[in-house]
Amino acid sequence: MPISKNALVRSTVLFLLLGLAALLAIVGAMVWLVNETAVNSSNLIKARSERSALITLRGLGQDAETGQRGYLLTSNPAYLAPYNDARAKFPDQMETVQSAYADEPEQAALAARLRQTMTEKFAELEQTIELAKSGRHAEALAIVNADRGRALMDEARVFFARSIERADQTVLDSIARQQRGIEMLRWVTFLGALVIIAVVGGSIWTVWQYTRQLVEAQREVAVLNADLERRVSERTADLGRANEEIQRFAYIVTHDLRAPLVNIMGFTSELEASLGALQEYVGEVVAPPAADASADAADETGKAEAARVAAFEDLPEAIGFIRSSTRKMDGLINAILKLSREGRRTLKPETIDLQGLLENAANAVHHQIADAGGEVVIVGRPPALLSDRLTLEQIFGNLLDNAVKYRSKDRPLRVRIEAGIGPGNTVVVKVEDNGRGIAAQDHERIFELFRRSGSQDQAGEGIGLAHVRSMARNIGGDIGVQSELGTGSTFEITFARDLRKVIGAI
Amino acid sequence: MNQQAKPVLIVMIEDDEGHARLIEKNIRRAGVSNEIIPFTNGTEALNYLMGPDGSGLVSAGRQILVLLDLNLPDMTGIDILEKIKSNQHTRRSPVVVLTTTDDSREIQRCYDLGANVYITKPVNYEGFANAIRQLGLFFAVMQVPETE
Repeated sequence: MPISKNALVRSTVLFLLLGLAALLAIVGAMVWLVNETAVNSSNLIKARSERSALITLRGLGQDAETGQRGYLLTSNPAYLAPYNDARAKFPDQMETVQSAYADEPEQAALAARLRQTMTEKFAELEQTIELAKSGRHAEALAIVNADRGRALMDEARVFFARSIERADQTVLDSIARQQRGIEMLRWVTFLGALVIIAVVGGSIWTVWQYTRQLVEAQREVAVLNADLERRVSERTADLGRANEEIQRFAYIVTHDLRAPLVNIMGFTSELEASLGALQEYVGEVVAPPAADASADAADETGKAEAARVAAFEDLPEAIGFIRSSTRKMDGLINAILKLSREGRRTLKPETIDLQGLLENAANAVHHQIADAGGEVVIVGRPPALLSDRLTLEQIFGNLLDNAVKYRSKDRPLRVRIEAGIGPGNTVVVKVEDNGRGIAAQDHERIFELFRRSGSQDQAGEGIGLAHVRSMARNIGGDIGVQSELGTGSTFEITFARDLRKVIGAI
Repeated sequence: MNQQAKPVLIVMIEDDEGHARLIEKNIRRAGVSNEIIPFTNGTEALNYLMGPDGSGLVSAGRQILVLLDLNLPDMTGIDILEKIKSNQHTRRSPVVVLTTTDDSREIQRCYDLGANVYITKPVNYEGFANAIRQLGLFFAVMQVPETE
């Protein structure tokens, strides 16, 4: 299952929330249990103190009764000690028991009843003891025998038994509740732990899955990259081969085209030589027609005249056209041959002093420019570069020749050459002239083979700039022009600063 | 060329008949009157030079000068050059390579194989005619050995 970045964030947040909820549940259960425990233990303590207060109170009642019985039997005041002691402690203890039931109205009512019962009991005990002290044993015994005291005591015992049992029950209940709470906490903790483990496991799984996807994607990218590089180098090699093939094709074509051309030119020369002999003969034979010539003679003369026209006009004209056409064709083929040779030439990258090279190129046309009062200035600081010397010499020689050839007749020629560094580790050289300029629609055309621009008053085949562009591209650059008709032209040549990188790429 | 009992034969192997005719005319203009035997393909030329059995015995005792074009329809002139220069009966015959190719490796290869002269056909006719005429003058003074 693919995991998107958003899904990863979402699931991570979800897992975090789940884990947090589980933790909160555990903490909540803990807090609840602590409260429960506090309540339970306070209940427990209360029940236990109730119980002990009740037992103590019951003990006091029994002690008092025991003291009374002993004293009534023996009349020995020593037996009155427990009675006196219990009697002294009774009010406080009764208060303790009653206060324990302060917030339990039902029990408090029972306790109030107990106080009455116990007070009555103590009153009965006191009455009997006072009677015994004053020697009226019979009266005292009669009161005892009346069973009033026993009934009171039994009533109190019932209360004690029930209340103690009740306190015991409370203790048991509290313990049971405590145990239930603990049991519940255990389950909450256990389930919470399970949830947390699941959450952590889920998070780890998601992250692992996501990481695996990332690694997978990375590997795919690497494979694609390698493939891309391979394809690029394949295409580059293909291009190189295609280019080589085209160059080779051009070379072969021009060679093979040239062979029949040599024949045409050769036999045209032969024809011309033969024509010489023919003209000599016809010139001698054909005389101007006589005024009194017969019809026959006129016919002969007509034929002779036709032969003369053929020998002196038609044939030389035809031969002339054949000659000029073949010469033109020869020129075109030579131009293609030159271009293909240039393309086949192995480029030799070497350190070039561009400043010196430009100066040499300028010196080559110096006298032509200086004669007409013009000048060439070289500005800028050409960078150090590695390129093919011959190519650069030909490019700038060609451009300067063009500047001279197509200068404006109205003003002395000024050529400004500016060299500098261009983007992408290239050298940019601008050759600016104030010549006759090039019309906008011809800016691209002038770089095409056999195409020329402007008035055709200069000799040329239209290969110079095509050649320059081909050479500029060979050294990893190009040439473009900005020009205004009648004002001047600026040719901008860019080429690689380090030709080795261009050669290495092809 | 030395005019002895057995006159020197010029074997011209050139597939373009126009070129062959122009070459012949210009050689003649230089005053060379030796017999020129033209061939337009390599097979026939080798047949003549090496004989039907290919041993080259037929050329024994002949005085032959070979004018050779490299671009032939059935084989390259290099093959012919190699055969001529490796056969004991023909290896002393001078071979003049006359072709359009000006590739420097090709030129080196021909000399390595034993070509005696390598001439690139000039691209224009005047140059071509001039070169052939000079070659004809050269033929007029050169000595051709008799083959074994």
